[in-house]
Amino acid sequence: MVSLTATVTGKRQTQRPAGRSIGRPGLAWALPATIFFALFAVVPLVLVAVLSFTTWSGLGSPEYAGFDTWARVFQDPVMIKSLWLSVLLTVLGVVVQTPLSILLGVWAAGPQRNRAVLSAIFFVPLLLSATAVSVLWRALLDPNFGVPSQARWLFGDGNLFGTQTAAIGVLVFVSTWQFTPFHALIYQGATRAIPQVLYQAAQIDGAGTVRQFFHITLPQLRNSIITSMILMIVGGLTTFDTVLILTQGGPGTDTTISAYYMYDKAFKGFDFGAGAAVALMLVVVATVISLVVVRVSGYDKMAGTKEGL
Amino acid sequence: MRRRPNYLAGLGALLWLALVGLPLYVMLGATVQTREEYSAGGPLAFPRSFTLDNYIQDFGNGFGQYFLNTVVVTVSVVAIVLLLVPPLAFTIVRNRGRGTSGVFRLFLLGLAIPAQAVIVPMFYVISKAGLYDNLIGVILPTAAFCLPVCTLILTGTMRDITSDLFEAMAMDGASVRRTFFQLVLPLSGSGLSTIVVFSALQAWNGFLFPLVLTQSEETKVITLGLYNFRTQYGINIPGLLAAVVLSTIPVLLVYLFARRALVQGLMGVGGK
Amino acid sequence: MKKRAWFPRAVAGGATLALGLTLTACGGDGASAGGDSGTIHVLVYGDSANKVEKAIVAEFNKTSKVKAVLDTVPGADYQQKLQTVINTKQAPDVFFNWGGGSIQPFVKAGLLLPLDDFIKKDPGLKDNFLSSVFNTAVVDGKSYGVPMRGTQPVLMFNNKKVLADAGVQPPQTWDELIAAVKKLKAKGVTPIALGGGDQWPTLMWFEYLYDRVAGPELFTKALGGDKSAWESEDSKKALSMLKELIDAGAFGTNFDSVKFTDGGSPQLLASGKAGFELMGSWEYSTQQDASPDFAKNDLGYTNFPTVAGGKGDAANVVGNTNNFYSVLKKTEHPEAVAEFLKLMYSDDFVKQQLAIGNLPTTTNTTKFLDTADNPDYLKYQFDLVDKAPSFQLSWDQAYPPSGITPIHQAVQQFFNGQVDADGFIKAMQALPTS
Repeated sequence: MVSLTATVTGKRQTQRPAGRSIGRPGLAWALPATIFFALFAVVPLVLVAVLSFTTWSGLGSPEYAGFDTWARVFQDPVMIKSLWLSVLLTVLGVVVQTPLSILLGVWAAGPQRNRAVLSAIFFVPLLLSATAVSVLWRALLDPNFGVPSQARWLFGDGNLFGTQTAAIGVLVFVSTWQFTPFHALIYQGATRAIPQVLYQAAQIDGAGTVRQFFHITLPQLRNSIITSMILMIVGGLTTFDTVLILTQGGPGTDTTISAYYMYDKAFKGFDFGAGAAVALMLVVVATVISLVVVRVSGYDKMAGTKEGL
Repeated sequence: MRRRPNYLAGLGALLWLALVGLPLYVMLGATVQTREEYSAGGPLAFPRSFTLDNYIQDFGNGFGQYFLNTVVVTVSVVAIVLLLVPPLAFTIVRNRGRGTSGVFRLFLLGLAIPAQAVIVPMFYVISKAGLYDNLIGVILPTAAFCLPVCTLILTGTMRDITSDLFEAMAMDGASVRRTFFQLVLPLSGSGLSTIVVFSALQAWNGFLFPLVLTQSEETKVITLGLYNFRTQYGINIPGLLAAVVLSTIPVLLVYLFARRALVQGLMGVGGK
Repeated sequence: MKKRAWFPRAVAGGATLALGLTLTACGGDGASAGGDSGTIHVLVYGDSANKVEKAIVAEFNKTSKVKAVLDTVPGADYQQKLQTVINTKQAPDVFFNWGGGSIQPFVKAGLLLPLDDFIKKDPGLKDNFLSSVFNTAVVDGKSYGVPMRGTQPVLMFNNKKVLADAGVQPPQTWDELIAAVKKLKAKGVTPIALGGGDQWPTLMWFEYLYDRVAGPELFTKALGGDKSAWESEDSKKALSMLKELIDAGAFGTNFDSVKFTDGGSPQLLASGKAGFELMGSWEYSTQQDASPDFAKNDLGYTNFPTVAGGKGDAANVVGNTNNFYSVLKKTEHPEAVAEFLKLMYSDDFVKQQLAIGNLPTTTNTTKFLDTADNPDYLKYQFDLVDKAPSFQLSWDQAYPPSGITPIHQAVQQFFNGQVDADGFIKAMQALPTS
């Protein structure tokens, strides 16, 4: 979930100040970590590519299948639908969460006296695991034994997991509930870093709060908005726990997003080859989208690395 | 000069308070009621009695064991991260060789790999290695996926150690190892505490690796216990929500006593 | 900064220590898991019937040197977990299954132990079970399973109190069912509880209606590869009748958000929010576990209603013929496993299954029917199964496992209106046949 903001940080490393070579560690110091990481992250990533050209049911050994697996994956209408659903869910997530978390972050950065107490409550969803959040909301939203049974005026028959619109709504709502505090934290930090002089100057010019917000706060938050959006995109595309626990991709295949489809193919349908192909596609799509956002925004040319906190 | 409060944001904040507060209230309220009282009154009713039976029953239903397993996983993951990351970050900051920048790039690339992407081959590798349904099989990949972020955080901290200090150490004729233990580690306290919290959270809240790589009661971690509880006894809402609360208590304690470190750990990046 | 200097060192020291400890601790675990001296693992479907399996394992462990360990996986996840684990070193020695198509891939992959040697040594492992049931787990002439729960016909359960309040009699015919639905709906209760979120409870409606309208032959033909069976007049008639029932509001509107496996739909029936539920005979043990008073006093049951002019015999039933224990070839303690399997026809086993409303398919079952907690329920089931001209195995167990997801999706989409009869027929025609 933590993103490519780092690529930016990495750039600094080439212009390290020169010093004497005494007391500098040899590459051997980095070896244990590198080998460990290669073994458990890079090797599997290569293997996922290899597996995507095989058929394997989990019984016996994988068998080479050339491009058959890929052809099968691309002919599967559910697969194509899952890509669209992933994008839809991600876009909805960004659209809903961004304004909310900016408002919340800017507010939390302010000087109000009750702020400390309230923000302590605000950030509680952050402490719960995705599993816990999903289990909590599945229980709360149960049509017969949860809140909808007592609030018919709001939920109707409570068929929240039985129609596509409602199920997507639930997924977007739950991830908003869970992640908005996180993004608000990013904005809180960034808002505090905005020089007060700018506001003072604006006040002298007679600009109101709203004007100040749109003309000073928002433009100053630009970097944070990009950071937070990349995090939302990567997070959105890889949403899994929430879908597994809340909707199981249903009704039918109406909320089967790619990350869940991958799991479903591999660990429920026992078509590990197809699962691997979808997984690989997911990595590529997430990386490409992130790179595009970084390029288009010109973010890679900026030096700011501190706006995170 | 005092800024005027931002009413627009304040309104959003109030709305958010309701959105977060209500579910938490329903959750806590449900866990102290008996099942009968909960089904009679529904989720929104104010609890009329107070019982801790739901929590006690959860412990009887295996959550004690799940808790222990999660502690083992968390401690081990943190230990691996603490063993591997400081020397790595030290090398990245102080070694100027070409190999180092290659290594650093590798870890930056690692940031973009989601765990979902490698779960299929991970299952293959772990089961071939005979580590399926073994906590080690969960610990190793979980730790590996913590490394990129932790490396990033710690190199950030170590870069702030001024080169004067390194030169002074070198002047004293200090060995690399002495420099590492007497200069670098002591001055990286904030970064170290951040990566401890970050990796502990990842391990504590991890779900996908345990879901795919374990199966039996003896290796079940708490997130998986929650998921199974939900799958089989979903309408025992008081018991279920009590389990949710139990799973969160350790994190809540850290939140109360080390809020700063927790927030930085949560943020992952930027924990300068 | 200075005063924090202790921290990194303490952490580094603690980390080394902890890592050393956990690795040795886990290493110890790993070794015992690999060698597994003296245990056999038994993997079963996690539900309310587990208490009998627990008791049987405890009984086995009293006398056996090799100890049995019971592992349960929640029902909704059982099949996927089974296939995930079965080819690993951590695979169980003995596992629960449905016989038929459910074990075929494992037999083909050479993972299962034919039980014929066991049977040679103790013919009771075969002779003590009803042969029609035992044969469900025979593949290519070899026996691969021993029946381990009870036969599970699907019955129409009802809440007697709700029915009485609405002035409804348990329906004998389809028309009476439609009339009952209307009356219950007018009373403000959901006429029929349906765990649509699980999808297989929805499938039961198709299985029964196809059987009543077309007879069991249609499905046998389709399973055998004759895909035209799905387009037949009978098939279309069954679908249109289902549609009529759905449109009458029989299942309410939020059934896709309800599940059986998490206790949702049984609770609807028990709490009087619904009048009927079509479910396997395990409904009884589920209710006994979750709502004992309701199970004792108000849980009614009948066979599925008849359909006027239908080709299927009104006495036909659908469901699971039984569940089975199968054994993996790699087990290191075949003798202990054989001893364990013998418990599946012991008097004690039969009594315990009867106590939770399960009907074992052993030849000694009839002796104990009267000792059961609810003898009427069991005698009813026994007669039903005994007299049924046809016992149709659940469709999703009859097809190979790769067909399960498409079947489940098709029935769900037909019920919530996403596909019409033609769409359903196409989906069924696309299924892989063996």
